[in-house]
Amino acid sequence: MLAGTASATVAASGCIRQFRTTVNRDGIDQLSISITTVPADSDRESIQLTRAIRESLEAAGMDVSIEMKAQEEFLRTVLVNHDFDVYVANHPGGDPDSLYESLHSQYVDEAGWQNPFGFANLAFDDLLEGQRSADDEDREAAVATTLEAFAAEQPFVPICVPQEYRLARTDRFDGWDADLAPTALAYLGLEPTEEGIESLRLVHTDARLSENLNPLSVEYRDAGTITELLYDSLAVAVPHEERITGWLADDWTWTDGTMSVELREDVTFHDGERLTAEDVAFTYRFLADTTLGETDVPAPAPLFRGRVAAVDEIDVVDDGRLEFSFGVGEPAAERALSVPILPEHVWRPRSEPATASGVRVAAGTTEALVTGNVPPIGSGPFAFVDVEERDHVSFERFDEHFTRRTSVSLPEPTVERLRVAIDPRSASAIEVINGNDADVTNRPLESYVVDDVLETTPEDVGVLESPSRRFYHLGFNARKAPFSNPRFRRVVAGLIDKAWLVEDVFDGYARPTAVPVTAEWTPESLAWDGADPETPFLGTDGEVDVSAAAAAFEEAGFQHDGDHLRVRR
Amino acid sequence: MLMRVLTQLVAVVALLTLVSLAAFVGRYRLRDTRTEWRSRVRAAAPIAVVLAVVLLGNSVARHLVPELSWMIGWNLTWPIYDLEGQFIIWLQSQATPTLTAYFSFVYIYGYVFLLVFPVLAYFALSNTRPLRELLTAYTLNYTLGLVLYVFVIAYGPRNLMPELVDALLYDTYPQYQHLTRQVNRNTNVFPSLHTSLAATVAFLAYRTRTVYPKWFVVATVLAVSVAVSTMYLGIHWLIDVLAGIALAHASVALAGQFVGRWSLSERLNGRVPAVSDTGDDNAPQEAHSSDRSGSHSAHNRE
Repeated sequence: MLAGTASATVAASGCIRQFRTTVNRDGIDQLSISITTVPADSDRESIQLTRAIRESLEAAGMDVSIEMKAQEEFLRTVLVNHDFDVYVANHPGGDPDSLYESLHSQYVDEAGWQNPFGFANLAFDDLLEGQRSADDEDREAAVATTLEAFAAEQPFVPICVPQEYRLARTDRFDGWDADLAPTALAYLGLEPTEEGIESLRLVHTDARLSENLNPLSVEYRDAGTITELLYDSLAVAVPHEERITGWLADDWTWTDGTMSVELREDVTFHDGERLTAEDVAFTYRFLADTTLGETDVPAPAPLFRGRVAAVDEIDVVDDGRLEFSFGVGEPAAERALSVPILPEHVWRPRSEPATASGVRVAAGTTEALVTGNVPPIGSGPFAFVDVEERDHVSFERFDEHFTRRTSVSLPEPTVERLRVAIDPRSASAIEVINGNDADVTNRPLESYVVDDVLETTPEDVGVLESPSRRFYHLGFNARKAPFSNPRFRRVVAGLIDKAWLVEDVFDGYARPTAVPVTAEWTPESLAWDGADPETPFLGTDGEVDVSAAAAAFEEAGFQHDGDHLRVRR
Repeated sequence: MLMRVLTQLVAVVALLTLVSLAAFVGRYRLRDTRTEWRSRVRAAAPIAVVLAVVLLGNSVARHLVPELSWMIGWNLTWPIYDLEGQFIIWLQSQATPTLTAYFSFVYIYGYVFLLVFPVLAYFALSNTRPLRELLTAYTLNYTLGLVLYVFVIAYGPRNLMPELVDALLYDTYPQYQHLTRQVNRNTNVFPSLHTSLAATVAFLAYRTRTVYPKWFVVATVLAVSVAVSTMYLGIHWLIDVLAGIALAHASVALAGQFVGRWSLSERLNGRVPAVSDTGDDNAPQEAHSSDRSGSHSAHNRE
């Protein structure tokens, strides 16, 4: 009897154990993800790319939805809150050194374009540091090695580099330079074609400019062309020469890794206050930590994070001279000179934590990062006059600006007024230019209108074709499985037919790419040769080969039943 | 640019309105209006003021609504697309240049005319109840619509499928964008206020069909065209349009409840029946004099 009970108990416990083992194994379900992007009003190409990529991922067995957010809301979600699975967007791009802030593991927890992916890889960190400390001769090789590692890891998938077209009225101004188009320099040094042209009229296809003029705002700034006209930096990049030239800095000299910078004399801000070496030193300290060390959590200004991080120390020698010491090579160090110089008397009070009544604000959110900054006070060639939301922003020439001096041979503001009209779509922006109600489109035209523009532009309008640094990309949130797995990311990269997307979405006005840098920096091993050199498309003409995709996922260690990709939750 | 488009709009709508006044309202009603307009204005003034306040408030709130929505609203674009995306694609595939021109015209000019004309047409009636109901229903549309805009974030088809729904209106006629941009935010598509206001006019035209039988036909055709145009032009989803019709229905029903119940003018006038719209051979029964004393007449209700 006893034995019977005992054996029954044993049998039952075995049964329950098996049940427990079975039930407590996590289920394996179809992978369900959401792609975050912006609506067509903000970026027509992003949503088209997103829908095409969704088709491919669905064909490969995932369940995919799309989440559209307004541009500033999108940037806040992805760059500040990191609340996404994958996203499709336009990346501002830049020098290869910008990869350092994009992918270094020390930035995974920060807000901004620095490592929104949460990508962390110690071996890759070493490569990033290597290219950063390289001097001119070794840099190319160091960058190439870094890019090869990038292609192997696919922390994000670069898709293509769009060609940029802008329209400019050649009957009103001479001196349009397509190479300068993405920078503020393009609007300096223009020659009015006749007496009496005293105002330069820009048309801008993004209303955010009329809502916020904060040069530090990651949600509201793209190219930052307009804020560059308001704020001077120590040096500016000259696209023709791939070098920088002195701007607020009259001159600089290098001695043993220390850079001695001489400021121009008698520079003032738009409110009449003098700009001194103290303001410059304050700016670098402030951008590195907008709380100025007042709280436990530092709050660096996201847009300039990598550039400012290159600076180890700043000493103010006297009113007009500073000494910078850098922990990086000269090419990377000179990038640090291109940040906007802020007036200390305006920005110091903004180191206070931001407040919103009734809401607990995340630590590390200072007034400086969230202020709309109206009116903006800088020292740049144009000073702010007024703004009307979603309508226009207007500026007047700052007559005391140093470029106006006869002794300075830099491009200067030639017109008394600058007006930026907001017009949300390319089609009507073109009409505004053709009707002579504006002189130039500040942002590149959307690619679907380019064909028409090239065919039907009136005689007095020039088409500026500019080199682009921007690129479209698919970003993974490596904080979440399975995007943390490089094998998974590589298969997804293989599901994106970049060449086909360039034809389908961009009407061919873009260049498919395997690396997130300009053509000059692309190593031969990763050059586009009709197909992606690293992750060739698993299919043809945008159509995914389902069995090839399934095989690729299986090979990467995932389960694919022919219809669905299944992952352990 | 905006001025030019506005001038054009005013000119076209004024022309349409003049023609329609002659065709639908007739000489006799206009003659009576000349003698009675003071008392009619008095009767309609309170609700007209309320509508004006709501419209002003709306223009301020439009700047705040998107900010609020992104904090508390539900983003419904994807669920809507998932449910009915194919319908808009099908509708778009029927596009021809003639249809695009027709629907663009209806969306801009036809719509404004549809909202303006009944105000004048009902003002030409001795019985001010239809006019007051109309203004009340407009007010309700705007108020309820704004509340929904706060809670629902949704982008229209043109924002999700720019290449299929080739934002017909703005690319074919870029100048119109200057107009609609003053009024609409791109996240405010649920419900379609274009549809709800147009449907409101059509519902009220049905109630007054014995007075203005021809207008009822025209209003219905125009209202349906406006509703279709919002989808054809890629501005709204079918769900937005259906919600717009529901909102119109609710607004008209509520307006019927409110008018007369909280009527200021009637209290001021001491409930004395005013001169009714007699002497008009077109519509002898149009003066619902029983309405004026606050009780509801049944014969004109849906």
